[in-house]
Amino acid sequence: MAAVETTQRKVVLIDPATGKPIPPRAHPGYYPGYRTLAQQEYWDEATRKVVLNRIRRVPDIRFFSADEARLMYAICNRILPQDDRDEEHRVPIVPFIDKRLFDGRIDGYRFQSMPPDRQAYNLGLKGIDEIANHLYTSRFLDIGEAEQEIVLKTLHDAKPPAGQEIWDGMSVHRFWMLLVQDCVEVYYAHPWAWDEIGYGGPAYPRGYMRLEGGQPEPWEVEEKRYEWQVSGEFVSDNYEFIAGEAEHFGSPGQGGTH
Amino acid sequence: MKTPLLGEFGSPPARHMLGPIQHIDVPMKRYAETEEVDFCIVGIGSAGGVLLQRLARAGFQVVGFEAGPFWDTERDWVSDESGSHNLYWEDLRITGGSDPLALGANNSGKGVGGGSVHWAAFTPRLHPSDFRIHSEDGVGVDWPMTYEELKPYYEQLELEMPVSGPAYFPWGDPHGYAYGPHPLGGVGDVLVKGCTRLGIRVVAGGPVAILAGSHGDRQHCIYRGFCLQACKVGAKASTLITHVPDALRNGAEIRDNCMVSRVNMNKEGRTCGVSYFDRHGVEHVQKAKVVIVSGYAIETPRLLLNSACPGFENGLANSSDTVGRYLMAQAGNVILGRFDQLVRMYKAPPAHALTEEFYETDPKRGFARGFAIQTVGPLPIAFAKQMMVAKGAWGWGMRRVMMDYNHWAALGLLGEILPWPDNRVQLAAEKDRFGIPVAKVTFNLHDDDKVLANYGKNKVMEVMRAAGAEEVVQESRYAHLVGAARMGADPRTSVVDKYGRTHDIPNLFVCDGSVMPTQGSANPGLTIQALAARTADYLIAYSREIFTSKKRPMEPPPIRRHLAPPETWGKGVPRIANL
Repeated sequence: MAAVETTQRKVVLIDPATGKPIPPRAHPGYYPGYRTLAQQEYWDEATRKVVLNRIRRVPDIRFFSADEARLMYAICNRILPQDDRDEEHRVPIVPFIDKRLFDGRIDGYRFQSMPPDRQAYNLGLKGIDEIANHLYTSRFLDIGEAEQEIVLKTLHDAKPPAGQEIWDGMSVHRFWMLLVQDCVEVYYAHPWAWDEIGYGGPAYPRGYMRLEGGQPEPWEVEEKRYEWQVSGEFVSDNYEFIAGEAEHFGSPGQGGTH
Repeated sequence: MKTPLLGEFGSPPARHMLGPIQHIDVPMKRYAETEEVDFCIVGIGSAGGVLLQRLARAGFQVVGFEAGPFWDTERDWVSDESGSHNLYWEDLRITGGSDPLALGANNSGKGVGGGSVHWAAFTPRLHPSDFRIHSEDGVGVDWPMTYEELKPYYEQLELEMPVSGPAYFPWGDPHGYAYGPHPLGGVGDVLVKGCTRLGIRVVAGGPVAILAGSHGDRQHCIYRGFCLQACKVGAKASTLITHVPDALRNGAEIRDNCMVSRVNMNKEGRTCGVSYFDRHGVEHVQKAKVVIVSGYAIETPRLLLNSACPGFENGLANSSDTVGRYLMAQAGNVILGRFDQLVRMYKAPPAHALTEEFYETDPKRGFARGFAIQTVGPLPIAFAKQMMVAKGAWGWGMRRVMMDYNHWAALGLLGEILPWPDNRVQLAAEKDRFGIPVAKVTFNLHDDDKVLANYGKNKVMEVMRAAGAEEVVQESRYAHLVGAARMGADPRTSVVDKYGRTHDIPNLFVCDGSVMPTQGSANPGLTIQALAARTADYLIAYSREIFTSKKRPMEPPPIRRHLAPPETWGKGVPRIANL
């Protein structure tokens, strides 16, 4: 992987009951001790190969320039923050987005209001830096995490205060959804993320036996919740519709429904 | 590695596997390009697979072209969401209009079996009223045929797939299913509970084309929840495993990884075969007496338009300027509810319970036609993308809601959107890697559609709340694709007749979802396969006329049940003798 420095991490989680920091964990989430990888002997060979390659073979950065990659790391750290994970258990996101763009793989369509994905990223990264500069007279990389979220929130709200020439040629909310989708597609493909959310992972040829009532299989674990807050004011820990109005937008159309 | 509890897995299969048990022997028959075969089928998906099988078993020389690969399911398919991109049509298309459709994984398959590889496999029939919505409600258009004409094919294909479902299905033309229903998963439980509390009739355990009991060389469902990532188990029907094996045994050929670039015409105004690019990008020509285009609602019109030639300047079979028009998707809003109790919606097939209580026109609602409510079961990545829209989640909010994944259940609206001429497929300026112009898809919701989708969405939210959800959110989206080469009795307003024969070219047929003039609130897969079996019977009954003349017999052909793949149906099904 290209040498890419990550921004210094100051974000911590707080236990709201005690006000004390929750130290970064190897395996955050409400399913203590649950490891999908521990079940890999029950997976079919083709699936095991695909999932293990995802963990073992993190691709090199080949599409983004060194500067763009640094910026992407900072952005993805906010789109999909992992400050509650210890350094050894953070899911690499940017290398897989880079690989998709390098390989030219798309989801089978391009919105008419959007340039091709590669160009969208080149433009979008410039636009994000212009917004940071407009709001904080500084590069995105050089502002604090909470401020970085405020910069990104302007895209979520489809109200970027700078870089107008860029957003004139590219739909802001489509770019936002492209970025968020790419991040979740990588993060929630990782077995550590499956552990975190209590998802069963690959299930062939064994399948499931307990279908009703949310019961865990014998190899799954019961939920054990804990409360957490993020230190400081982080605007992403709220829910607001994209551009204030989700109704307008045809959604990304993942294959996960009907 | 320890010896697994359930036996050894993972020894590489020596043969071409279509599920853990079923396999085929390759190589298959190979026709010479100089040889004029009887039929070329472009696209071996839901329709193409059935056509290929019927025509081969009837003794015709038939070659199927498929742009994607011929899957070996043990080698190529995985039990993993992110690893399944190769199942979908991921080549470039341009999508626009006021309400652009998402394509790719949402509705477009690639590879032998096509969309039936990644469908959820809900198999409701259309209702009798669907065939005459213009007569009854003054909207859309009537079909050039009745429900009764298609009914024998519905019954036949339900046995061939086969479909598991309730003993009594109360809507449309009430009927039952020969194969028993599946057990309820967490989401089905939510739908049944919510509907019951509101006094809405609901059925559970189907109808889905998923085996509830092992059947021939196919295993029954193991409830792993990866239907949309292709069924490695072999329990969910796809034409790859239900019809293609019998087609090959009867001498059909499939040329996989072959992209048909144009349908060729001769001086007499008849098609004489197709041009195509093989997997190495080399262009070839295959001669045929009849060409059937089965590329689904985007690739079919794209091919017809790209085949424009002298005498057919606006594309083939397009004298009506209808090719590409009247494209339809259904309002497929996903309604998500958070429950205090765990649901774990990744278990069980996403498709396993539904209600069609709101399917028909109800004048009190103030709009024509209606909708269905069905279970869906998004896996984590799909769910995260839904939360991005439904709650506007990102950053810490995304992490937080995803940590509650197991508390959420998802229900799908399936609402009828009417056929409009401005919803269409055209050619874009961009070209694919073969230099063929790609499709440009334009989709605009009309007022009627918006009113229906909004009412339906609110009704599903009501059901979700009645089931006990403490928080209910929703994402607007669209499901399925049909239309764009519609059938009709009038050549001035339609592309094909009721058997799929183009009005303009006597030996060019279209057979796939694109021939549907309207779509109802039913998932289209069963209807597409039923129409394909009927078109096959027409081709078989009238092959001599079609091969050599312009004669257009309209007398319905007899249904040829004996041409069904023998191992797919007829064993242990009590009602077959009476059919």
